[in-house]
Amino acid sequence: MNIRSIRFRVTAWYAGLLAGSLLLFGASVYMGLGRYLKWNLSESLTNEARQIGETLLSNVDQSGEEYVIYEIGEHFSPEINGRFLRVTREDGSVLYVSGLPKDGSFDASQLAGLTRPVKEAFSRDERLPDGRELLIAAVPYAARDGSRFFVEAGAPYHQIEDVLHGLLLALALGLPVIIAVAIGGGYLLTRRALAPVDQITRSAEHLTSRNLSERLPVAKTGDELERLSVALNQMIARIEHAFRHISRFSADASHELRTPLTIIRGELEAVVQHPQLTPEVRETIGSVLEETERLTRIIESLLTISRLDAGEARVERARFDLGELAAATTEQMRLLAEDKHISLSCDVVAGVEVEGDRSRLKQVVVNLLDNAIKYTPPGGTVRITVSAASPQALLEVSDSGVGIPSESIPHIFARFYRTDKARSRQMGGAGLGLSIVKSICAAHGGRVEVESVEGSGSHFRVELPLAEF
Amino acid sequence: MRILLVEDEVKVSRFIERGLVADRFAVDLAQDGSGGLDLATAYHYDLIILDLMLPGMSGTEVLRRIRRTNQHVPILVLTARDAVADKVENFEAGADDYLTKPFAFAELMVRVKALLRRGPVSRASVLRVGDLELDRLTQQVRCAGRRIGLTAKEYALLEYLMANAGRVLSRTMIIDHVWDQSFEGATNIVDVYVRHLRNKVSAASPQKLIRTVRGAGYTISDEAEQ
Repeated sequence: MNIRSIRFRVTAWYAGLLAGSLLLFGASVYMGLGRYLKWNLSESLTNEARQIGETLLSNVDQSGEEYVIYEIGEHFSPEINGRFLRVTREDGSVLYVSGLPKDGSFDASQLAGLTRPVKEAFSRDERLPDGRELLIAAVPYAARDGSRFFVEAGAPYHQIEDVLHGLLLALALGLPVIIAVAIGGGYLLTRRALAPVDQITRSAEHLTSRNLSERLPVAKTGDELERLSVALNQMIARIEHAFRHISRFSADASHELRTPLTIIRGELEAVVQHPQLTPEVRETIGSVLEETERLTRIIESLLTISRLDAGEARVERARFDLGELAAATTEQMRLLAEDKHISLSCDVVAGVEVEGDRSRLKQVVVNLLDNAIKYTPPGGTVRITVSAASPQALLEVSDSGVGIPSESIPHIFARFYRTDKARSRQMGGAGLGLSIVKSICAAHGGRVEVESVEGSGSHFRVELPLAEF
Repeated sequence: MRILLVEDEVKVSRFIERGLVADRFAVDLAQDGSGGLDLATAYHYDLIILDLMLPGMSGTEVLRRIRRTNQHVPILVLTARDAVADKVENFEAGADDYLTKPFAFAELMVRVKALLRRGPVSRASVLRVGDLELDRLTQQVRCAGRRIGLTAKEYALLEYLMANAGRVLSRTMIIDHVWDQSFEGATNIVDVYVRHLRNKVSAASPQKLIRTVRGAGYTISDEAEQ
C-alpha cells in the first residue's frame, strides 16, 4: 500500500480524528456519568436521612426510641436495600445502626462512630478496613424537645462502579468496532471518490506522440475532477496541435527541399558529362554532387522520422522471426566488419517472433550494426543477440568500441546529436541513424536503450512486444 | 521515340529534356495538368513522364484521366512525395513506375528504357566486359579464363554493374537493387563491397574495369578513362 497516496492519507487522518473525538466523547461520558451517579446517590441518601429525622425523630419524646428503631427497620429496611443507616445521639451513643446487608457487600460494624458533632448536612466517603468504600450522607436533626440526633445514610460505591464498569466495557468494545468500520468505509469512499483520478492517470500514461488524438475520460459529475480532466484535455489538444504543426512542417519542408535539390543534381550531372572539363572542375562538381546526395539522405531521414512520429508510417504489419531477420542482416553486413578487422558474431534464439514492418525493423538492425562497426576500432568485436523475455523480444547489439561519454547518453537518440562532432561527420553520418531506430521502435510499441562505458564499448538493447499467439 | 514530359518546374523539365534529347528522344513539354492531358489525348506518345505536384489539375487526376482513354502508354511518375500510401494510390491510378525526387538522371534513364523495353538490362546468359565474363547460368565469373571466387553479394553487385555496363549507377540504385531500402542508413556499405569486388577483379585483370565516378556512383566499362 502506498502510504503517500491521497487515499491512505485521507483515511488515516479521518480515522485518527474520529478515534480522537470518540475517545474524548467516551471519557466525558464516563466521567459525567460517574459524577452524576455520585451526586444522585448522595441526594437520595440525604433525603432518606432527612425523612428519618422528620417522620420519626421529631416526636421521639412521645413515641420513644424503641418505636423509632422498629419503624426504621420496618419502613426503610436498610439490610434489604443494601443501605447503611445509623442514628447517633448528641452524646455520641448510637440509637440505631443497621446490620449486615442482605448481599453482604459491606460490614457496617467496622465503621467508626462519629467523633465530633455534626453542625450541618454533609456527605463523605468512608473507606472500610476491608477496602470497600461507602458514600455516607450525614444530617443533624433537632427534635421538638430539643434533643439532637445525627442521622447517617450510606450506600456502597460499588453500585456506581458496576454501572461505570459496564459503560467502560461497552466503550472499549464498541469504539474499536466503530473505528474499524469508519476506516474501512472511509477507504472505500475515498477509493470511489478517487477512482476517476486513477482512470485519468492511466489514460494519461498511455498518451504518446502517436495517439495524441485520444482524450482522457471526462465523468460528467460537475465536480473538481471533471474540471481537471477537461483542463487536461484542453492541454492535450494544444500539445496535439503543436505536435501536428511541427510534424507537418518537417514533412512540408522536406518536400519543398526536394525540388531545388533535383534541379541542382540534374544540372550538375548534365555539366559533368561535358567532355571539355578539366579534371579539377570535374572533381569539384563531383564533390558538390556528393554533398547533394548527403543532403538528400538527411531529408529522407528527417521525413522518415516525422512520419514515424506522426504514426503514419506503420502501414505493413506482418509476423516474422526477429532472430532470422537479425542473422540474415548480419550476414549482409559482414564484409563491413571484416573490412575493419572486426569480429562480428550473431547469436539468436529460434522462434522469437514479432509483428510489424519487416523492412523498418531491418533498418533498426542495419543502423545499430552500422553504428557499432563505425565506432569500434580495428580488431574489436561486435555482437548481436536476439532472445525472448516474455512479453518482450530482445535485440541487443554490443561492441568493444569507443563507447559514449556518460553526459552524452541522455541525448544519443536525439536528432542531429553527435558525441564527437568532428569524428562522426568524417564518418559520413548525419546524427539521425539512432533517432530513426528510436522512432521505429516506438512506432512498434517498443523501446531502445543504451548502456555504455567510455573507452570499453556500448550495449544497445531494443525491446519489442512478442507476437501474440 | 516520343516522350511527353509534364512538369511545372521549368528547371527540372529543362535538364530532363536535355538529357532525353541527348539520348535521341523527341520530347514534348507541358507545364500544367490540363495542358499535359490535352497533349496526352491528342498525340500518340511512347512514354509519359508525369510530375504529381502540378498547378490546376493534380498529377494523380491527370493519370486517372489518361488511363480512361489510353490503357497502354507507359507512365513514369515523378514526385516529391514518397509515402507508401501515395505510391499505392498512384499505382492504383495506373502508374507504371515511380521515381522520387531528387533522383539521379542515370536512374531516370534506366527506368525510361526499361519501360520502353529497349533492354536496359541485358538478358543474355553470359555478360562480357573486357576480358571479364559472368555466366548467369552457372553463376561463375572468369577473367581471362581464370575463375574468380565471389561471395553472393559480390556476385549480385557485379551482375548489376555488368548488366548496365557503360552506365553510371548511383549508390542509391545499387542499394535498392542489390540490398534493399533498409540499408540506406548504412553509410558506406556500397563503397566497401565495390572496393572488395574491384580488388578481386583487378587481381585477375590488368584492365581497370570498375570505376568510381565522383559524385555519381560506379560504372563498369572497358573503355579507357577520359
